[in-house]
Amino acid sequence: MSYEAEISREHPTCFLFVIDQSGSMDEVTEAGRSKANFVADVLNKTLYTLVTSCSKADGVRNYFDVGVIAYGGQEVTTGFGGALSEGIVHPIQAISEHTLRVEERNKKMDDGAGGIVELKTKFPIWFDPKSAGGTPMRAALSKTMQTVADWCERHPASYPPTILHVTDGQSTDGAPEEVAEGLRRLSTRDGEALLFNLHVTAGGGSEVVFPTADAELRDEYSRTLFRMSSPLPAHLARFAGDKGYSVADGSRGFIFNGDPQCIVDFFEIGTRPKLVADR
Amino acid sequence: MSSCLEQKVRLPLAFTVPKVFEDQRNEDSFHRSRKGVYALSDGASVSFDSASWARILVKRYARNPEFTHAWLAAAIAEFRKLYDRDSMPWMQQASFDRGSFASLLGVRMIDAGRLIQVFSVGDSLAVLCDGDEIKATFPLAKASEFTRSPQLLCTNPVQNAFLDKVDLNYDLVADWTFRGLEQPALLCMTDALGHWLLSHRDAEPSPISILRKVRTSDAFARFVKDERAAGRMKRDDTTLIALW
Repeated sequence: MSYEAEISREHPTCFLFVIDQSGSMDEVTEAGRSKANFVADVLNKTLYTLVTSCSKADGVRNYFDVGVIAYGGQEVTTGFGGALSEGIVHPIQAISEHTLRVEERNKKMDDGAGGIVELKTKFPIWFDPKSAGGTPMRAALSKTMQTVADWCERHPASYPPTILHVTDGQSTDGAPEEVAEGLRRLSTRDGEALLFNLHVTAGGGSEVVFPTADAELRDEYSRTLFRMSSPLPAHLARFAGDKGYSVADGSRGFIFNGDPQCIVDFFEIGTRPKLVADR
Repeated sequence: MSSCLEQKVRLPLAFTVPKVFEDQRNEDSFHRSRKGVYALSDGASVSFDSASWARILVKRYARNPEFTHAWLAAAIAEFRKLYDRDSMPWMQQASFDRGSFASLLGVRMIDAGRLIQVFSVGDSLAVLCDGDEIKATFPLAKASEFTRSPQLLCTNPVQNAFLDKVDLNYDLVADWTFRGLEQPALLCMTDALGHWLLSHRDAEPSPISILRKVRTSDAFARFVKDERAAGRMKRDDTTLIALW
């Protein structure tokens, strides 16, 4: 059976975020923020949530390996800075220890006795928005494929890697579909790697979420990204359904032109392995 | 009516083994009072400090089994006193804020079993038996129900909102009795054992007869180890309280 492996320190899983930082990501969306800025925010929040779900009173447990691959202009590099800039994938404990900075924010919380208290909360930042140059998507996916192949070889019994790819569209270094297909074929004994694609756009068009076919997609780029996306495994489809999305048999991990909440949900659903589902 | 109610003084047997035998870390907790109140809690491993939270819940329940919203608020306040939130590094603070989760299964034996009040939040299981026959289980009835994510008590009050939608004295409670049973027994167990028991309820030998033979901690550890090795029991902290 696939996607059933228990995630533990002996058998961690891997999350790879592949982020388009091309010049067009500086376009401002209807919400008044650039696509790059919004994606950076959601990525920081996702990393925060992943670390939090591995943190206990006695420290952070290495249930996850995490990497960020950023691409824009001629470059495909790690999206992390500082001590994490060597290599692509790092244990979650290392991620927790090496932030770019920690900001202090105020958060309102239930005090447990019917009231609300405002608490100062530390919020870590790993990733700042960037946007410049072309869209070397093929090279980025090739780098991802190499990273995932290495990881699967070292973790043959683990829940397979999940790749969340965020882009605003057109590859400028060749067709990415064939590379994506190779990437999806990489596997551990628990199943094939999962590639989910988020197509962010300021160009309008109706939102399409977890479709089963490409009929509603308006251009060839989004249809390509749809074909590149893995079907949602049953446990993720169930979670997406619980969040109110219409999910059918064969729904793919693909979203076109999602609203801000939809983008947040894309990251949350994609990073929802069994460990978190079971608390 | 069975004469055993008058004759038998029931001393509970209580056993627990951790998820990893070599590790010894165990997030299950159990407690009993002299007044016949038993409490069992299974701390969820993926949370900040579920072992302490489980310990607080069972001690409080054994002392005062009247579960109310105020009862829970007082338990949360006790937990929060264990830590200085503001001095924590960000990752621990975030995990502390997210909350620690645990089940709570409480049993009140009134008048030597003429009334047994079972209270449960989460997926720890109480089982009423007559000989080797299972007469009732609570709160779950089928092994397949263990695959759902259970609602657990949390140190973050936001996560306890589900309690606002239930009647604490009705939806979370079952009333049982030993009356009319020839060989009555009551078992309380955490989810790995509960799942094993309900998965094998029609098997031969019956799961109750297997558990009945377990009389020492070593025997319980051997039994759990064998069932795990055979792939019949989930690897998790595993606890049993048995009143034979």
